[in-house]
Amino acid sequence: MDLLAQVLANGILLGGLYAVMALGLALVWGVLNIVNLAHGSFIMLGAYCSWHLFHYLHVDPFLGLPITAVVMFALGYGVQRGLLNLIVRAPMFNTLLLTFGLDVVLTYLAQLAFSADFRAINPGYAGSQVHWGPMVLPLVRLGAFAVALALTVGMWLFLLHTRLGRAIRATAQNLVAARLHGVEPRHLYALTFAIGIALAGTAGGLYGTVSQINPYIGASLTLKSFAIAIIGGLDNPLGVLVGGLFLGVVEALTTLYVGPTFVDVASFGILALVLIVRPTGLLGRTT
Amino acid sequence: MKAWQWIAMAIALAVLASLPWWGSDVTVQFAINALLLAVLAQGWNIIGGYTGYASFGNSVFYGLGSYGVAIAMVQWHLPFAVGLLFGVALAVAFALLLGVPVLRLRGHYFAIATLALAGVMAAIVSNIPLAGQNIGLVLPPLNDDRLFYGLALGLMLVSTAVVWWLTRSRFGFGLIAIRENEDGAAVMGVNTTLYKVLAFTLSGVLSSLAGGIHAYWITFLDPESAFDIGLNVKMIIMAVFGGAGTVLGPVIGAFTLSAISEWLSSEVTSIATLFFGVVIIAAVVLMPHGLMDLARRARLGTLTWRYLGENVRANKL
Repeated sequence: MDLLAQVLANGILLGGLYAVMALGLALVWGVLNIVNLAHGSFIMLGAYCSWHLFHYLHVDPFLGLPITAVVMFALGYGVQRGLLNLIVRAPMFNTLLLTFGLDVVLTYLAQLAFSADFRAINPGYAGSQVHWGPMVLPLVRLGAFAVALALTVGMWLFLLHTRLGRAIRATAQNLVAARLHGVEPRHLYALTFAIGIALAGTAGGLYGTVSQINPYIGASLTLKSFAIAIIGGLDNPLGVLVGGLFLGVVEALTTLYVGPTFVDVASFGILALVLIVRPTGLLGRTT
Repeated sequence: MKAWQWIAMAIALAVLASLPWWGSDVTVQFAINALLLAVLAQGWNIIGGYTGYASFGNSVFYGLGSYGVAIAMVQWHLPFAVGLLFGVALAVAFALLLGVPVLRLRGHYFAIATLALAGVMAAIVSNIPLAGQNIGLVLPPLNDDRLFYGLALGLMLVSTAVVWWLTRSRFGFGLIAIRENEDGAAVMGVNTTLYKVLAFTLSGVLSSLAGGIHAYWITFLDPESAFDIGLNVKMIIMAVFGGAGTVLGPVIGAFTLSAISEWLSSEVTSIATLFFGVVIIAAVVLMPHGLMDLARRARLGTLTWRYLGENVRANKL
């Protein structure tokens, strides 16, 4: 029983991180209708940004997150403005291909710049743990979970209550009507993508504290993000949070009861199954 | 087709058919690879180019074909031909079982569902002892590049003939109707589910044969290389670069891109990967209709630099 509680706790802590990973993907997909196959690569770049800050400038990985977010925000804005805006009206298939090409280029450049070695962000408190009832919770994972929760709820409030958030939601619903109300789509698209990439970068920084990073982690993270976004639906950050927690718990339980080599079967299987049974996401549309 | 086109085709065929007798070993090996990629691109062309369903699951068929041959030859000691049939049977079973639910999805959802299936299959196969789990299988070696070249060339010709047949058959017109407007096609009496599943299966049969030949030629396979999603993207980009939804486009795309990437990797090692990414991006932005459209424009005399700009302007925000 203690083991089950511990495994569940691990799953939930990991799930919070998963939610932040998928948050940016769901935002970009829901608003821009771009399925970003390079999403995992942006997570990877964020992780490297955080690692460099920590390794060379000795910035605490959690305090460094805003810096990573700003850097990734700028990168995201540039990519959308300079590249993705060129194909926004193309058939969806072209956007898939383009973002895959971007993924290949980013992975290659990362390998060139950072080498293929595994890196980890290990601050001084990396080994500290919190005992809570029968469970042992690593401090870093707890911190990552707290940041993830704060980001998700913050995103939800931002989309609901700020002027920019409303503009983004309006664009998602009807681009023409939003334009008539004074939304400049090129700028707004770039801003939305930039927010999505900043979230991906932040997720990458958190990922670097709980796991090892190398230039090739992107592809599987992209697929995981898809699974979460599909489970949670695209229109509500809180749905994505539920999706992330769900995937984290399922993966933890699969590892415990079936075996660690079946984790991918479980997560991709759920993705395929949810798509087949309920393509609008398990939680459906809220509007 | 005009007379000069027939002549050009005949010359191309003669060059391809006689290649093992005058080409070096390296050339023949390059050609086997390019031909198999052309088959994959052609297979994808049926479901992606003609039917309009962006499948990221064609690498599953390729993997099933590879494993069909490997399991039959290594575990059951059966001949190669039986292995090929076994691989095809696996691919057909997969297409019929999962085609029906997955092909109900449209657009992005179909693409991601097939992407997920590719991930599931790789993960499942790496847990099956019969398939050698993570380690993979080693096939009995057969050092006969001419045989493999002949098989690959034959398969490429068959798959091109199949696609050519699509452009002039009721079945093919049905697929094109589904691509252009699925609801409209259904209203006009096309059994869309049946047609889509058949197209998926047809594309799967061709891909699995290519996988089977490749497995016996390379004599080694593991789940990661057999179900590689990168390979799936390769077939898509080759089809799109040449011209998706055309008869010869995918073959031309496969040969052009293989040749360029081969040349690059011999000049500057490891840059071929980067090149692939850049070509994908440039092709999608500048010439989304492929080389065939470029050639058509050139014939009509309307090919100018403005063509590239027009493509960008048509799709940008």
